[in-house]
Amino acid sequence: MQEFLQQIVSGIASGGIFASLALALVLIYNAMGLVNFAQGEMAMLATFIAFTLVDHGVSYWIAFPVTLVVAFAGGILVQRIVIRPVERAPILTLVIVTLGLATLVNGVAGFIFGYVPRSFPSPFSAQTVNLLGAFVSYRDLGVIGVSTVVLLLIYLLLQRTTIGLTMRAAAHHPEASRLLGVHVSWMLALGWGLASAVGAVSGIMVAPILLLEPNMMQTIIIYAFAAAVLGGIESPLGAVVGGLIVGVTVNLAGAYIPFVGGDLQLAVALAIIITVLVIKPNGLFGRPSVRRV
Amino acid sequence: MSALLELEDVRCGYGPTSVLHGVSLAVPEGGIVSLLGANGAGKTTTLRAITGGLRWLGEIRFAGRSLRRMHTEDIVGVGIAHVPEGRGILTELTVDENLKLGAHRRKDGATAVRKDYDRVFEYFPVLRERRNLSASTLSGGEQQMLAIARAMLMQPRLMLLDEPSLGLAPLVVRSIFEIIRTFNQADHVAVLLVEQNARLALEMSTDAYVLEVGRVAVKGASAELKGNESVRRSYLGY
Ligand SMILES: Nc1ncnc2c1ncn2[C@@H]1O[C@H](COP(=O)(O)OP(=O)(O)OP(=O)(O)O)[C@@H](O)[C@H]1O
Ligand SMILES: [Mg+2]
Repeated sequence: MQEFLQQIVSGIASGGIFASLALALVLIYNAMGLVNFAQGEMAMLATFIAFTLVDHGVSYWIAFPVTLVVAFAGGILVQRIVIRPVERAPILTLVIVTLGLATLVNGVAGFIFGYVPRSFPSPFSAQTVNLLGAFVSYRDLGVIGVSTVVLLLIYLLLQRTTIGLTMRAAAHHPEASRLLGVHVSWMLALGWGLASAVGAVSGIMVAPILLLEPNMMQTIIIYAFAAAVLGGIESPLGAVVGGLIVGVTVNLAGAYIPFVGGDLQLAVALAIIITVLVIKPNGLFGRPSVRRV
Repeated sequence: MSALLELEDVRCGYGPTSVLHGVSLAVPEGGIVSLLGANGAGKTTTLRAITGGLRWLGEIRFAGRSLRRMHTEDIVGVGIAHVPEGRGILTELTVDENLKLGAHRRKDGATAVRKDYDRVFEYFPVLRERRNLSASTLSGGEQQMLAIARAMLMQPRLMLLDEPSLGLAPLVVRSIFEIIRTFNQADHVAVLLVEQNARLALEMSTDAYVLEVGRVAVKGASAELKGNESVRRSYLGY
């Protein structure tokens, strides 16, 4: 029982990481009806920026927000420079553009930082604390805490502020929003900035666990896809719930299903994606897929 | 006298198909003008041109200033509220969020906005009741009310209404038109009213234009057009 509880808590911690990246995917999906295949690579590059700052003696808790600001600006730049020129292109073009972007970012990171895995600091100690009889690491609790704060902030921004309202309006009804004075194109750019910053959080959270190298996010993005699809791809809340479910499921499967172990966890995520797409394509929180044009 | 909105020989279309072949019309400050015509005549296209939905040749001036090359979001920012064909309700959002979007560019302070909310809710009490519900749960008539209420909260100098009566019960149409008239008189807001229901539109407006395949076929005082049987027969279908 105690072991089970521990697995649940560390599942929730991974879930927070998946949820952040999944939320990034959902933000962009809402803005342009497409998954950004470069989301994980952008997060990885942001993590390298954090690494460089910390490596130069900047304190972790300063490097963290600074990285988010840089990632935010970077996301906006990518939208303005790379995406906007092809905004109205067929979906396949956009898919290829984001795939190309992923390869490019990966290559640039490899070129600058090399492929040797580096250990990334965690501000939380690896010691455990006794929580209701289960031994939970501060590290897991820290990840859960940080993800919760970030996701909550995004929620408040989207639901409780005027700028969030105009972002949601622009994403769902660009034409009607324009007639209400919403600067749609800038809202989409803002969506990219926000997604890039949330994605960076997931990168920074996962780096101490996985070691930092250019391919670090390539498994995480699969879990994030699973989370986003499970949540219904259009729903920010769905991404978070989906992330938690995927995190816990994958963790429990790894611990208790003998043949899954550590190696087949990714297969569990893929199984989740396929099952959802077959049984309930709209996910847990998605609306029926009637898209108005 | 210079009008609030002036179109001079406006030509435009969609890609290679040209739709308007030189439309000229004027809406005076505080006036109500009807834009009539059969299906496909170009009424909606005219409104789209005004709010920058497509590129045009000729000239469109609002309050003496050309709207050439202005973006839609800036055109509505200078005081034109466009209630589009199909109403433009954001169905993912609540009634209140739709209304908030109407007011979000205003700079005259929260108190003034709140006062306008109260007025709008007086005009349309049902919106107050449904305030926190998803806009998708509203009936057609209620959605039209929401679209007009939202336009009122934009504090415009000119309202463009694209077939507000479409698909609504006659009683609902009556009450909506009554409210538009009240608003026009109280706030001195000009209205350009696109309608298929010519009889109703002519009752409301002081002047009217009838479009026929992208050209102004008839124009004049609404009372005159209403009284002219041959115009009524050949263009207005009643
Ligand atoms: N998005 C579009 N792309 C191409 N052609 C269009 C488009 N919208 C309208 N048209 C064409 O332009 C012409 C004028 O259409 P418009 O919608 O302005 O007419 P309308 O007077 O508003 O008619 P209705 O009473 O049916 O609303 C029609 O021939 C129509 O087929
Ligand atoms: Mg029309």
